[in-house]
Amino acid sequence: MIEGLLDRPPWFVLGPLLGLVVVAAFALLNERVGVTGGFSDVVERVTGRRAALGWKAWFALGIVGGGALFLLLAGERTFSHGYGWLTRELTGPVAGLVLIGAGVAIGYGAKSSGGCTSGNGLGGCTTGSAASLTATATFMATAIAVSFAIKAVI
Amino acid sequence: MTRVRLASVLLGAGFGFLLSWGQFIDPDRIRDMLLLRDSYMWLMFASAVAVGFVGLRLLRRARARALLTGEPVSWTVARPERRHVTGAAIFGVGWAVSDVCPGPVAAQLGQGIWWSVPLFAGIALGIVMALRRQEQPARERKPLAALPASNPD
Repeated sequence: MIEGLLDRPPWFVLGPLLGLVVVAAFALLNERVGVTGGFSDVVERVTGRRAALGWKAWFALGIVGGGALFLLLAGERTFSHGYGWLTRELTGPVAGLVLIGAGVAIGYGAKSSGGCTSGNGLGGCTTGSAASLTATATFMATAIAVSFAIKAVI
Repeated sequence: MTRVRLASVLLGAGFGFLLSWGQFIDPDRIRDMLLLRDSYMWLMFASAVAVGFVGLRLLRRARARALLTGEPVSWTVARPERRHVTGAAIFGVGWAVSDVCPGPVAAQLGQGIWWSVPLFAGIALGIVMALRRQEQPARERKPLAALPASNPD
């Protein structure tokens, strides 16, 4: 158990390390990171739209493993109190249904705008893509507005 | 190919580990970020983009080739289209409601946080809906494209 893992490292350590993952993806594979793309690879493979999994699917699989590795090294989860505001304010089944709906918005929105927080936010913005900068500014602003709206209602 | 897959898994593992360590996978941390109560996530995100931005340009300036594929390090940029605004806005709603985005949901699954399962199911469904929508114009065009072949004269 490595106790330091239970506290967040300073932002100026973690941020640059995440930036280096983006750089490493180019240095090793000449690829732009993106998680939704990995999920989409799996969905396309399962639904017969694609014959083989692309690198992004393996990248997404690695994230699952990275989460497991963290838990193994840290010894415990850094949160164990339900799932944010949803499980505090709603009953279990309702929270589950809301999560499915939120997931549909995340999957549909990210797939049609070319990426999520990682694909457009990290991968796209570091390349300087105007489309990614536009998408990132839009989802950040929308998410802030919706969060304040939720806070006003609950 | 095997080396590419291995490298992809290792990159993902590093990414998932960092998302977990930074507590990106805790919905309440994202909620604090989006309610502008916590500057950590914003500074972290900005510094990640800054390091990536500089790093990519250094690679390109050095005319580096990707170690495993041999391709020259390069990228294309896209101009904003309507879908980059509408799709991103829909994504933003889902992100704000769940306080979880696709990277963290994968790391949560790895940690056995089972609330990630309904979110995962929804994301997969949303991706299928987007794929079907993207395929729709192609399907509608199909009869027209087939017309000359069925009418050789």
